[in-house]
Amino acid sequence: MPSNRWIKNALPGALGILLFLLIWELLGRTGVLGLTWPPLTSVIATLIDPSKTALFLRATSASLTSAGTGYLAGGALGLVAALAGHLIPTLQEGLSRFAAVVNSVPPIALASVFLVLMTTESTPTAVAAIKVFFIIFIAVQSGLRSATPAQHDLFTSLGTGRFKRLWLLEVPTMLPVAMSGLKIAVPVALIGAFVGEWFGASRGLGVLILNAMQNFQISMLWSAVLLATLVSLAVYFILTMVESIVRLRLT
Amino acid sequence: MATQYQNDKFSLKPWFIQFISRYWAILLFLVVWQAWVVINAFNPIVAVGPFAVLSDLINHPEIYLSNMFITFVVALGGLASGMILGSLLAIASWFSRFVSAMLTPLAVMFASVPVVALIPIFARLFGFNITTSLFVVVVITFFPSFVFTSSGLRSLPPGSEDLFRVLGAGRLTVLWRLALPAALPNMAIALRLSASHAVLAAMVAEFLMGTTGLGFLFAQNLERFATERAFGAGLVATIASVAMFLVANAIESHIHRRWT
Repeated sequence: MPSNRWIKNALPGALGILLFLLIWELLGRTGVLGLTWPPLTSVIATLIDPSKTALFLRATSASLTSAGTGYLAGGALGLVAALAGHLIPTLQEGLSRFAAVVNSVPPIALASVFLVLMTTESTPTAVAAIKVFFIIFIAVQSGLRSATPAQHDLFTSLGTGRFKRLWLLEVPTMLPVAMSGLKIAVPVALIGAFVGEWFGASRGLGVLILNAMQNFQISMLWSAVLLATLVSLAVYFILTMVESIVRLRLT
Repeated sequence: MATQYQNDKFSLKPWFIQFISRYWAILLFLVVWQAWVVINAFNPIVAVGPFAVLSDLINHPEIYLSNMFITFVVALGGLASGMILGSLLAIASWFSRFVSAMLTPLAVMFASVPVVALIPIFARLFGFNITTSLFVVVVITFFPSFVFTSSGLRSLPPGSEDLFRVLGAGRLTVLWRLALPAALPNMAIALRLSASHAVLAAMVAEFLMGTTGLGFLFAQNLERFATERAFGAGLVATIASVAMFLVANAIESHIHRRWT
């Protein structure tokens, strides 16, 4: 019975999360880990403190804007690069190696380069875009190759042209893989934005977190990190739903 | 297949054509970078070209090597501890479906947490020292290791568990002779996923806390406007990260060949 199995899995899962939150609270209450581990309740109290709502909202929207813009730009770039490599096989290997090396450049080094190229406000977007680029590039590249030889043979025997084959066969088989890439790229885009914000941006969750760390505002630090985590989880969850819809439609 | 044929054709070509076809984008990038610096006549404080970075690297290798060693130790130590911890917890939860169902949502949740945002919290909890960098790498490695090992321990070849039971194998024998070998390819995937991140995460932690290692070298020289050395630290970290990834990749394909 599906409902029975669902309860069997969901119940312990909920219990696990509850236990985690309880341990967090107890560690903070007893103070065994010192002042830098606040109880969950005080973190939430700071998070929902009306006097700080405007600050949190402004920071969240700034981070989401730069991460979102970077996500779109990096995704588009990754898609174009993967398509180019797929349609012009001569370019393929060089592009893959370049993407892999770019992905291995430390984000802090990227941010310091972008600081020269553009303003401090657009650095978070650029770092997010680079990180997303690699994931989408790899996902689209392997997705475009995921059509089976039998499917290709059918298209060949029907005399399909290159672009028609791309549009009718390779793009549809690519979509589920690309969707997984889009999902994985969400926390990555946010991380890119946070790191980019450390290099002189005026607002954003990354700025909030760094300032709270440096000024020893412990409950502020934890609430900002909790907020960053919740935002990341929420977007991730939305994309998981979209992914399951795409999978349902295409497989 | 068409691609197979092309690969054969490539291997007949002289080595430099092969080299260009593999590295054209990286070479193009380096040329554009150098040209950009020369044309704009940037002050070295603002931006330096790849030649300046390389010459600093060749002239002062001892500075880079000593810091790279520290970052490498942190990355490798964190990677190993994270892998071991994640696998051990996966094995522990393998014995009990309840524990496994209890931990899985937490692990999945943590896997999508922006870990970089946690570094400031770790820095406040454990102090501004090398232990914190190590801990960051452990956390980054732990979750993929746990998730992949758990799923590997449960994806056994069909019928194999029944065979073991019929032959009267105990739970421990099943673990040692069936489940762990079956989980090994998955553990290799987790290793590959974490390997390139390990160096970068260690570097970000070192950068934020400013204690030792490549991240410290980067932060320190960025403040002093010694841009070529800061970029040099970035370059060394990139090479280290690529190297870690390649080694992990080789391990994974070796395991994949032997096991499947």
